[in-house]
Amino acid sequence: MSAPDAGAADVIAAAETGLLEVRGLVKRFGGVTAVNALNMTVRAGDIHALIGPNGSGKTTTLNVISALYRADGGSIRFDGAELIGRPAHAIARLGIARTFQNIRLFGDLSVVENVMIGRHVRTRVGFVGALLPGGATAREERATRERALELLQFVGLDGTGGASARSLPYGDQRRVEIARALASEPRLLLLDEPAAGMNPAETDTLVALLRRIREQGTTLLLIEHDMNLVMSVSDRITVLNFGQHIAEGPPDEIARNRDVITAYLGGTLDAA
Amino acid sequence: MHFDPVANMQLLISGLAVGSIYALVALGFVLIYNAVGVVNFSQGEFVMLPAYVAVTFMVPAIAVFGTIVHWQVPVLGVYVIVLVFMAGFGLLFNRIAYHPLRDRGWMPVVISTIGVSIFLRNAAQLVWGSQPIVMPSLFSVDTIFLGPLRIRPQDILILGVTAVLITFQFYLFERTTLGKQMRATAQDRATARLVGIRVGRIVAITFVYSAVLGAVSGLLVAPLFTVTKEMGALIALKAFAASIVGGFGSIPGAIVGGLTIGVIETFGGFYVSSSYVDAIAFIILISVLLIRPQGLFGERVAEKA
Amino acid sequence: MNGNVTLSLSKGAPLIVLVAVLALIPTFVHSDYLLTLVDTAGIYAIVVMGLGILLGFAGQLSLAQAAFLGIGAYTSGWLTVNLGWPVWPAMGAAMMLSALVGLVVGYPCLRLSGHYLALATIGFGIITQLVLINWKTVTNGSDGMGNIPPPQIGSFVFDTYGRYYYIILVAVLVCAYVAWRIKTTRVGRALEAIRENEIAARATGIDATRYKIIAFVLAGTYAGLAGSLLAHMTKFISPDSYSFDQSVVFLVMLIVGGSASISGAILGAVLLWFLPEVLRPLKTSYIMVYGAAVIAMIVFMPRGLIGLLEALRARVVRRPPETA
Repeated sequence: MSAPDAGAADVIAAAETGLLEVRGLVKRFGGVTAVNALNMTVRAGDIHALIGPNGSGKTTTLNVISALYRADGGSIRFDGAELIGRPAHAIARLGIARTFQNIRLFGDLSVVENVMIGRHVRTRVGFVGALLPGGATAREERATRERALELLQFVGLDGTGGASARSLPYGDQRRVEIARALASEPRLLLLDEPAAGMNPAETDTLVALLRRIREQGTTLLLIEHDMNLVMSVSDRITVLNFGQHIAEGPPDEIARNRDVITAYLGGTLDAA
Repeated sequence: MHFDPVANMQLLISGLAVGSIYALVALGFVLIYNAVGVVNFSQGEFVMLPAYVAVTFMVPAIAVFGTIVHWQVPVLGVYVIVLVFMAGFGLLFNRIAYHPLRDRGWMPVVISTIGVSIFLRNAAQLVWGSQPIVMPSLFSVDTIFLGPLRIRPQDILILGVTAVLITFQFYLFERTTLGKQMRATAQDRATARLVGIRVGRIVAITFVYSAVLGAVSGLLVAPLFTVTKEMGALIALKAFAASIVGGFGSIPGAIVGGLTIGVIETFGGFYVSSSYVDAIAFIILISVLLIRPQGLFGERVAEKA
Repeated sequence: MNGNVTLSLSKGAPLIVLVAVLALIPTFVHSDYLLTLVDTAGIYAIVVMGLGILLGFAGQLSLAQAAFLGIGAYTSGWLTVNLGWPVWPAMGAAMMLSALVGLVVGYPCLRLSGHYLALATIGFGIITQLVLINWKTVTNGSDGMGNIPPPQIGSFVFDTYGRYYYIILVAVLVCAYVAWRIKTTRVGRALEAIRENEIAARATGIDATRYKIIAFVLAGTYAGLAGSLLAHMTKFISPDSYSFDQSVVFLVMLIVGGSASISGAILGAVLLWFLPEVLRPLKTSYIMVYGAAVIAMIVFMPRGLIGLLEALRARVVRRPPETA
C-alpha cells in the first residue's frame, strides 16, 4: 500500500488508519503531472498541514479531494468511504468542507445569507416544501438563521450579518468563508492558505480560531506558506515537492528532515 | 435516389460559399471574444449595416428617410465608403457598447450587445424603410459553366475573397507585430499590459477589424439574397453555432466550423428537407454541445479554485 | 433580500390594498383596447417571472421562453380544438408538457454554462418555432390555429377581456407567490449561490446541476402556462409570435425591471408592454430608443428599476446591520 521506496514517514503513514487516507493519488493536466502518486494520512482530530514549494501540487490535491478536479488515479478514503468518483456536492454531504485560496463568497448576498447557505447539507426544505404553507419551513428557516448568526459570532464577526459579503474587508471575508464551511458541520475542514494576506496579529487570531475549531471535534487540513503558523499550530505535516510526498510527520521531525530542507532550497524551516 | 456527382459538386461549392460567409462572421465573433471575453449578439448587424450602406450608394435611386436620393457612386468607391464606415462603426461600438461595461462580467455586455442589435435593426428600418432592397450583382450573368458544373459567379467570388482574407489574417497574426500584440492580448490581457501592450488600443483595433470583416461579409452575401433589416440575424446565430462547433475561441475552428455548417446545411436542405434547413445548424450545434462541447479545435479550460 | 418567510402584518397590509385595487380594475376600465393591454401585460409578467427564477435567481441565461410560450399555447389549443378537451385540464396539460420539455431539454443543456447555454437555448427556440411552422398536421403551420375556446366555469364563460382579467390576476398572484416562496427559502438561496459562485456552491453541498434543471423547468412551466392563457384569450395563435426576438423581449423586460426581483419582473413586463403602445405614434423611432435605452440601463442601472428604487430607499431609510 505504501510507495515503492518507503522512507520512515511512509511506513508510519501506512500503518495508521486516518480519517482521510490518500493513496497513490495522481492528477494530470495535459502533459503535466501535478500530483504524482501522493500518499497522505490525516488522523482524526489533528490539525494537519500540507506544505511545499510553489507548484508542488498542494492546491491541486485539495481540489481533487473536494472533487473540483477529477483524479486520474489512486484512491482517497474518508472514514473508509472512497471519495474519487463522487461529485463535489456529495463530498460536502459526507462531511468535508473547504475554503478557497482566492476567496469564493457569494458576493451579492449578505454575510448571514452566505453562512446560511453553508447549512444547505444539514437542512431539508426543497421546492415542494417551500411552497407548502406550514410551520416546518418557517422553523427550519429560523433555525438556519440562528445557527448562522452563532457561527458568525464564533469566528468573531458578530454584528456584520446584514452587510453584503463583498463589502467586507479581506480578512473578514476569509472568516465568513470559514463560518460558511463550519455551517455544514464538517468532520474535515480543508483550508487553502487561510492566513494569506494577514499580518501577524490577524494570524494569531486565526491560529486561535483554528484551535477552537479543532476543540469542537473538527479535523483540519490546511495549506499554508507561513512557516511560523504551520510549525506552531500543526500536529502533523505532509511535505510535497513536484506532486509527491517527501515527508510526513510531526513538526519537529519535519524540521530536521534533510529532504525537506533540500526541497526548500537549502533554507531552514524556522524562519517565515 | 441516385447520387449525381455533378449535382453534388455544385452543392459542395454552394455549401462552401455559404459556409465561407458563416466562417467570416464567426471569425468576427471569435476575435472579439478572444480579445475581451464577450459574445457579441449584434454581430449580425455588422453584416446588415454595411449591406445597407452599400446599396445606398450602389443603386441609382433609393429611399432614405422617406425621400428618394440619387447617390450612386462607382463600385470601387462604394467599397471604400463601406469599409471606412464600418471601421468607424467598430470604434463607436467599442466606445459605447463595450468600454463602459468592460469590468462588469459577461452578462451585462451580452445584454448591451443585444440592445445594439435591437437599435440597429430598427434604425435601419427608420432610415431605409421595410421594403427589401436588391443589391445589384457585380456580374452580368447568373450562372457560369465550369465544365459540366453550373455555378453562381458570386459563390466563386465569395470563396476567393474568403481565401484571400484568411491568408491575409494568417500573415497579420503570425508575422506582424500588431498581430502578435492582438494574439497576446487575446491570451492574457493582464500580462499583455505588463509587457507594455496598450490593451485599450488593441481592443479598439479588434473591434474595428471585426467590423470590417462584417463589412466584407455583408458585401459578399447581399447579392445572394435581398437586403433587409433581418438579414444578419440568422446568419449571426448560425455563425455563433459554427464557432462553437469549431471550438469556441479557436480561429481555425471558426473557419472550419463555418464551412462545415454551410456544407451540411446545403446538402441537408437539398436531400433531407428544405423547410427545416435553418434548423440544421442548430441541430449540429446542440449535438456538438452534448457530445464534445469543446468543439473540433477547442481546449477544455479548467477553472482554478 | 432573503427575509421573513411569513408575511408580517406590516408588509401584508399594503399588499392586500394593492390586490384589492387590482381586482377592481375591470369595473373602472371598460375600453377593450386597454383591457387587452392589461391582460397581455399580466400574461407576459408570468413569463418574465419564470425567466426571473432561472436568470435572476440562478444566473442562467436562457433565451427560450418564447419557445415554451408557444408549446403551452399550441398544446392547450390543440387539445381543446382537436380533442374537445375542456379548457382547464388543457391548461394543466400545457403546463405539464412544458415542464416535461423543460426537463428533457434542460437535462443535457444545463451542464453547459454561459454563452454555450444561451446559444443552446436559442437553438432550441429556433428549432421549436420551425416545428410549429412546419408540422402542419398538428399546428396548421403559418395559417395559425383558430377557434380556440375560452374557459368557463359552469355557464360563466370568460370570453371578454374584462372577465379574463380575473383569471390572469389569479395566475399572476399565484406565480408571484410561488416565486417569492422559492426566493425566501433554502431553495432560493441555493439558486442565488449558484449564480454568485457555482464552484463554491457545489463545494458547499449544492447539487448545482439539479437545481439549475429545476429552475429551467419552472421557467418553462411558467411560460407554458402563459402561452395557454394567451391562446384561450386571443382565440387565435400563429407561430410567428414565438420567435427568438420575442425571447429577447422577455429578457429585456426582466433586465429593465430588475432581474433578481419578482416585483421587478412584473414591473418590467408591464412597463415595456405599455410603453410602446402608449408611444405608438412614434413607433419605429421608439423602438430604436428602446434599444438605446437597454444599453443605457445596463450601463447605469444594472439592477434595473427595482434596483434603483431599492438603492433610493436604502438611502432614505438607513438599514441597521443584523445582530445576533
